[in-house]
Amino acid sequence: MKTLMELVKRNIKMFFSDKGMFFTSLITPIILLVLFFSFLGKIYVDSYLNMMPEGIEIDSSLIHGLVGGQLLSSMLAVCCVTIAFCSNLLMVQDKVTGARKDLTVAPIKKSILSLSYYIASFLSTLIICFVALLAGFAYLAFVGWYLSFVDVLKIMLDVVLLVMFGTALSSLVNYPLFTSGQGSAVGTIVSSGYGFICGAYMPIASFSPILQNILSFLPSTYGTSLLKNHCTDSTFKALLDEGVPKEIIETMSNFLDCNIYFFDHQVSILVMYLILIGSTLLLVGLYIFINKRAKRV
Amino acid sequence: MSVIEISNLTKYFKDVKAVDCLSFKVDKGALFAFLGVNGAGKSTTINIMCGQLSKDEGKVIIDGVDIDKDSASVKNKIGVVFQNSVLDKSLSVRDNLQSRASLYGIVGENFENKLKELSSILDLGNLLKRKVGKLSGGQRRRIDIARALLHDPKILILDEPTTGLDPYTRKMIWKVIDKLRDENDVTIFLTTHYMEEASDSDYIVVIDEGKVLAEGTPLELKNKYTGDYVTLYGIKEEEVKLLKKPYKKIKDAYRVFIEDTSEATSLIMKHPKIFQDYEIIKGKLDDVFINLTNKEIKEGGDYSEDINGTSEA
Repeated sequence: MKTLMELVKRNIKMFFSDKGMFFTSLITPIILLVLFFSFLGKIYVDSYLNMMPEGIEIDSSLIHGLVGGQLLSSMLAVCCVTIAFCSNLLMVQDKVTGARKDLTVAPIKKSILSLSYYIASFLSTLIICFVALLAGFAYLAFVGWYLSFVDVLKIMLDVVLLVMFGTALSSLVNYPLFTSGQGSAVGTIVSSGYGFICGAYMPIASFSPILQNILSFLPSTYGTSLLKNHCTDSTFKALLDEGVPKEIIETMSNFLDCNIYFFDHQVSILVMYLILIGSTLLLVGLYIFINKRAKRV
Repeated sequence: MSVIEISNLTKYFKDVKAVDCLSFKVDKGALFAFLGVNGAGKSTTINIMCGQLSKDEGKVIIDGVDIDKDSASVKNKIGVVFQNSVLDKSLSVRDNLQSRASLYGIVGENFENKLKELSSILDLGNLLKRKVGKLSGGQRRRIDIARALLHDPKILILDEPTTGLDPYTRKMIWKVIDKLRDENDVTIFLTTHYMEEASDSDYIVVIDEGKVLAEGTPLELKNKYTGDYVTLYGIKEEEVKLLKKPYKKIKDAYRVFIEDTSEATSLIMKHPKIFQDYEIIKGKLDDVFINLTNKEIKEGGDYSEDINGTSEA
């Protein structure tokens, strides 16, 4: 156990001391923030205001709170996965630098070594995501805070689950990589592509039906939807209290990916949790399996 | 008593036979030199011994334990200093040693005690807080050795430990190695390209293309695969020719190649006037290595033709 703890400590220190790896992991959330504050935020505010029926006076903080919730959920959705991928690249870097050889020349079990990468990557990602969460809460408090204490707890749970999923997925993807070129390629593809496929830059609802159906097979889609639900749920309730018709709220929920459909069936929150937890367990199981099956060259 | 027994070790990388039926033994507490040109199969053999690579055939017994049966136990007996430093450059020396010590279950107070001990042996005191990546080559090597000694291994494998180091650091490293042998009876398994280091070893195995090319003590190898030579000063070439031996003109002198010291004695007795100012020098291990790896060995170490052909003035 102490060996595992020391290795986890070593891996976390390695990630945070490698400035290149650390800042690379922040590229996607930074792109998202730049897009939001340069034009996307304004577009969303304007489009939500246009959705409001005539004659209903809406407090602008409600719309800003909704857009803020959308920003926070999108940012967390990308951070949980892309940062996990970048921090988990340590397992590739260790192979490149030869550190892996130095670790395995000792009588350490493969399972302990693999677990140390998983836990370290999970904790490193969680630390950054919680910092981002705190910054997001501060932003929401500034533009319009409508979250309840339960919402906050649910968002934190979503982050933990999505980070576990992102870490499991990255462990599996990064496992067979041996060169820094392969690691960089995976890091770049995930950093640049994941923001789109998880609906962080543009909601999945705005994609073509075919693409929406394809994305409904990705477990991360449900993780993103959970975050979107819990970041905006109370704001929608406040809009309902302000007299906004339920149909409009429904339309806005659909637009924001709060309602996700597997083909024509709407997926409930409970099923979203089950998909996320189930897929994480499956990925972790696969990771353990391939580690156990791995043989020396 | 042998602490390492390797028999018929064979390793393929696809169609390439990297190690070819290799067999040798290393005595406990010995300084064993494992020599060969780059690509001869040294690192592959070491990697198999350390459990980094699988073998295709043969047996490897380390301190009585078969690596196939209990590799964890074998790993506890071996400390390795790799050719290139493999410690974490972005972490401090202390962090590096702490994480590596934990791999052997050395944590808390045990680690602190070990760190103190190694610091005094290797003079690490002022390096502990510095990042490994900021250290000089020599300082880094000292840390590599400290890392290899964390768990008090019975066998220390040194894969070209002094390559690229300044003479002071090389001397220091050898002082530590000698101390380990004298006080802890640690067996040293050395690969090096510095023949003067190998010449201090107890036993040498030279390999090429994965096979044993020659083995023996440094003296045995010198006697078998090189000759001695006499350097004569203050004489003319006509006088050297009287010796009827191959020779080479060097600055202010002539170098005469002989089979061994006894031949030198008989030449001196026969031509005392020529041997007024001279020195007899035994063949060097460099010559053994070059002779073994550059040309085919003939039984009895017949190398004189080669010298005649290439070096006569």
